[in-house]
Amino acid sequence: MPKQIAIYGKGGIGKSSTASNVAAACADEGYRVTIIGCDPKSDSSITLLRGRRIPTIMDLMREGIDIREEDIVFNGYKGVKCVEIGGPEPGIGCAGRGIIVAISLLKKISSAIEDTDLVIYDVPGDIVCGGFVAPVKKGLVNEAYVLTSGEYMPLYAANNICKGLARLEMTLNGVICNSRGALNEEKIVSEFSKEIGSQLLAFIPKDVLVQTCERDGFSVIENAPDSEIAAVYRKLAKSIMGKRDGKIPVPLDDKRLRELTRI
Amino acid sequence: MPVKKEKEPLIMHPRPSSIVAALYTLRDLDTDVVILHGPPGCSFKHARLLEEDGMRVVTTSLDESGFVFGGHDALVEVLEKVIERFNPRRIGIVGTCASMIIGEELHEAVTQVQPDVPVIEVEVHAGYRDNTKGVVMALESALACGIISEAEFERQKALLKEATMVEKRHGAASKEYLEPNRGDLKYKVAGRLLELIKQGKKGLNILNAKKETAFMFADINLAVAEVAQKLNAGHNIVNMVNLDDNVGLPKNRRNAQEIKGDLKEKGFKIHHTIGGLDEYPVAGNTAERIISEKYKDYDFAVISGVPHALPMDNIKNMELFSITNGPRQVVPLKEMGHTHVVVEIDLHPKTLGVSHIVESEFGATLRELAKDA
Repeated sequence: MPKQIAIYGKGGIGKSSTASNVAAACADEGYRVTIIGCDPKSDSSITLLRGRRIPTIMDLMREGIDIREEDIVFNGYKGVKCVEIGGPEPGIGCAGRGIIVAISLLKKISSAIEDTDLVIYDVPGDIVCGGFVAPVKKGLVNEAYVLTSGEYMPLYAANNICKGLARLEMTLNGVICNSRGALNEEKIVSEFSKEIGSQLLAFIPKDVLVQTCERDGFSVIENAPDSEIAAVYRKLAKSIMGKRDGKIPVPLDDKRLRELTRI
Repeated sequence: MPVKKEKEPLIMHPRPSSIVAALYTLRDLDTDVVILHGPPGCSFKHARLLEEDGMRVVTTSLDESGFVFGGHDALVEVLEKVIERFNPRRIGIVGTCASMIIGEELHEAVTQVQPDVPVIEVEVHAGYRDNTKGVVMALESALACGIISEAEFERQKALLKEATMVEKRHGAASKEYLEPNRGDLKYKVAGRLLELIKQGKKGLNILNAKKETAFMFADINLAVAEVAQKLNAGHNIVNMVNLDDNVGLPKNRRNAQEIKGDLKEKGFKIHHTIGGLDEYPVAGNTAERIISEKYKDYDFAVISGVPHALPMDNIKNMELFSITNGPRQVVPLKEMGHTHVVVEIDLHPKTLGVSHIVESEFGATLRELAKDA
């Protein structure tokens, strides 16, 4: 069975950047990797595809296509298989139901989530309804990671996600800090990780190179392979591939969370 | 290049629901209690009717707050209560549109409660074009629970595919809109049928009914045989029935036995068995083969149940007397060339919870008219 991971975190915190760089780093190591973008914005795999936008499952469904695997699974950087679920236009229909339908379709028609070494589910920041946890509920995710910075709001979101995971009896395999340059950031996130019963897996420093590469449609692994930041992603990828242990997180109360960010 | 699906034409008249189809299938699988996970009114009419057949149907009664906050706790509570109150040997949980849209996981409640009897979970909603989807989903789940065999599952699936095709060709899924119609006047049609029997015309008397509806449709074939006997024309009538009791799910086999028992008692002779009670989509083909071999030159045919499943090739020159229970089946049958079409209105509800043949209006009319013949 492949390692099936989901990366959670507050919207805009850098989940897609992290997911695509980890995917690329794992592909460099020779792993077969599949990335499933679950956000209606459908931008998870764009930097693995040199800026190309691929048709989403929901796009094809809307057009009444008889969807086959080759219509929705695209080869990106070093053979990373890219799938975007997509969604209805903002304010219309039900994006959550879209994810449920797409996940059952993927299970039925595609081997990309089974015949592989690593599947990364890039889930939206806000798990607003039941549909957004479909990958977990349908048993397609066996490891969860939380991405946060050391600021109060992202940590608040991370803590909330831990509540959700605990309710779903889903284990947390590690916390990743995507730095926004806050004071004492590494220490804060490290302490948060410990207190919820997990550990800080990586501290990704703020580096403008990430945005520059993304703007051109690349991951840093592809476009700046010798950079320091690329090395950080490689280290994170290695530690994700090596990990097997996880624990159901114990969320903090809000008072403690506020104290923590005051360090 | 992505291939576009052929766009299925719109059908506007209301049609059978896949949720209800799943419920009936669970009944055929001898499920004791089914929990409908959804709003209290969902599938009410059928839920009520199914109780006549001895299957309990309860609901988690999701309301507005259930839609918003999820219905997991309600499902757990109802599942626990069902076990305590009914002590069932087999439980079903069936989804609804509301619970499926919000992403309820039926299995989570089962994992939490851990009942020590099998639970058939059917994650179905009513948004499928063909209601047979609900049957397939229920059977898939029953297969996963080890309640039916792989062979039976495949058999059922093939039959359902045929049933869907039958409806698309000449049934309720054949047109954008079908006007409901009460059919021809039973009194007149019965009169014409008697006339032919009296004239010594040769006739086929075919029962091709879907499952329990045969409890009433069989009464029509019985009445035809009875009046022919009375008019000393019994030898002119050939009886064909889909009452094979060696095939199908437990309930269907039982029902076939019960109906055959009644027919035998009344002196009804089965000349040909054309299939089982769940084989109505294909039994017509068997009948067709027998007709082409032996009875091509017959003058008339009485077909009760699902007359539109009979191929027309060898019967098109006969005067056809067709009895259906679907008011929307009248127009398609007439278009196929069925001369007389009679509707037994509200037949289905009267065939739930019974173990003997139930009198039909057309059968009663025929018997009454024959008294003066």
